[in-house]
Amino acid sequence: MTPGTKRLAAVRPGLAVLAALLLTPSTVWAQTASPRQPAPRNALVYFHYPLDGLRVPERFTVRIGLKEMGVAPAGIDRPGTGHHHLLIDTDPGPPDQPIPSDYNNIHLGNGQTEVVVTLPKGTHTLQLLLGDHTHTPHRPPVMSQKITVYVR
Amino acid sequence: MRGLRLKLIVGVTAVFAATISMGVAQERARARSPAPAGAKLSFIDLQNNARIPGKATIRFAISGMEIAPAGTARRNTGHHHLLIDTELPPLGQPIPSDFNHLHFGGGQSEAEILLSPGRHTLQLLFADHDHVPHDPPVISEKITVEVMAAPEEKPRTVAAPNARVFFVGLQDGAVIPPRSVVRFGQENIGLVPAGTRQDNAGHHHLLVDTDLPPLDREIPSDFNHLHFGRGQTETELTLPPGEHTLQLLFADHEHVPHDPPVMSQKIRVRVQQASAASPPPAASPTARTASGRTPAPNDAAVYFIYPRDGTRIFATSTIRFGLRNMGVAPAGVVRPNTGHHHLLVDVPTPPLDAAIPADLNHIHLGNGQTERKITLPPGEHTLQLILGDDQHVPHDPPIMSERITVYIGAPAKRRARR
Repeated sequence: MTPGTKRLAAVRPGLAVLAALLLTPSTVWAQTASPRQPAPRNALVYFHYPLDGLRVPERFTVRIGLKEMGVAPAGIDRPGTGHHHLLIDTDPGPPDQPIPSDYNNIHLGNGQTEVVVTLPKGTHTLQLLLGDHTHTPHRPPVMSQKITVYVR
Repeated sequence: MRGLRLKLIVGVTAVFAATISMGVAQERARARSPAPAGAKLSFIDLQNNARIPGKATIRFAISGMEIAPAGTARRNTGHHHLLIDTELPPLGQPIPSDFNHLHFGGGQSEAEILLSPGRHTLQLLFADHDHVPHDPPVISEKITVEVMAAPEEKPRTVAAPNARVFFVGLQDGAVIPPRSVVRFGQENIGLVPAGTRQDNAGHHHLLVDTDLPPLDREIPSDFNHLHFGRGQTETELTLPPGEHTLQLLFADHEHVPHDPPVMSQKIRVRVQQASAASPPPAASPTARTASGRTPAPNDAAVYFIYPRDGTRIFATSTIRFGLRNMGVAPAGVVRPNTGHHHLLVDVPTPPLDAAIPADLNHIHLGNGQTERKITLPPGEHTLQLILGDDQHVPHDPPIMSERITVYIGAPAKRRARR
């Protein structure tokens, strides 16, 4: 009796997971009011400054470059545009969710292409992520390499 | 009597502290983060009753705990808060965020603060990922600092003794229309944008209806002290009818006048009524500013990230634009402090009060682009950037770069050798 029930118990969650996997994509598609904005295939966001591995002072200006797309303030719905987000010491979240707004995810919502940051001494990572008018990453996400800087 | 009250306070505090710690241990659903007993918070190199300049860097030291940015919940960590001229906030809730409670949620361990002359109190308070002080609270002693009335003497940038600044075509006692262009020049001294540190160089300031400011510190920035930090040598000035005074004052990268100061005579001008003889500047309707153009911040600037002035570039190159203190928005989008780029190739600066022409030499980046790949024939070319508003009209003041020169193709010498 015991082995049988145990196996059943093991199988049942497995089935449930499978069912959930099969169901979720369609339901998500049905639910999302605003599908993610498409991005050109060769779109690229990158750092003019600083570059990977650079030693920087505590207060420095991050300069942002964008290829094959344009910059628009948050809230402006224009194809082929977005606004920059600077991710400090954090990984990007799920690409279908709006980028959070906190000390680690700096929104440049007025269409800025550079930002002055002050970081404590030590090693930090920086990454750029373009968001659309609802702060959601594009499809595919327009994202830079994650770079490391050393604040001296 | 006083002794009694003191004892009473101490007693009350002790009871209070005890209740808090017990309460936290037993009942609270969301307990305050615990702090180790030996945690100590203090100012570095700043004693009680210290005298500091109005702009000072305050450094904080924490021992027995670690710094973590706000939002990072880890044991025995937190981030700094600087309390200025205020009592301790309630310790059971997040520290308020205002001018008196500065948060250093990025994990900073120092801050540059500006204080008015006089006495101020400073106190540090450490708090956890939710900005709630720890239990027991990690607090520094409350210190009093005195901000000196005069900022500390800084070595002023030197100027050549024969350097001078002057108005171009505007004499003392002149009669001008309400809106007129004032031009100015300089001699024996270099003209560089604000922020560029160079001996015997600086940028213009126009003092309107005001006396000379103190010459050993930054020139104020207001309606009476106009800054031309991008190296402008003219401005469109709108003045009410009547008598006015104008004076030029040159200043260095930090807006501090030179040593010796380089300034013009203070001239008097008479602004006449806009009625009869004045030229028709009234042609531009719908005033968004006095000039009818979209206003832009005084410290905004557009510049070339690539290429640099005087460099040799490939025939097909990507020109990259930088924009300081403003944002980019596609054409047609009305948002304060935004605009879109225009790249001007081999043409002089267009009129600044009309839409930038659209042709092969005036490249509009109307979708908010911040770079553009162009192909140029061999030879010498000029490039200039101008920001335009939603209607492609330059801002007021215009946000434009200097006109740079680039060269395409290998230098003649090298070509001959091949």
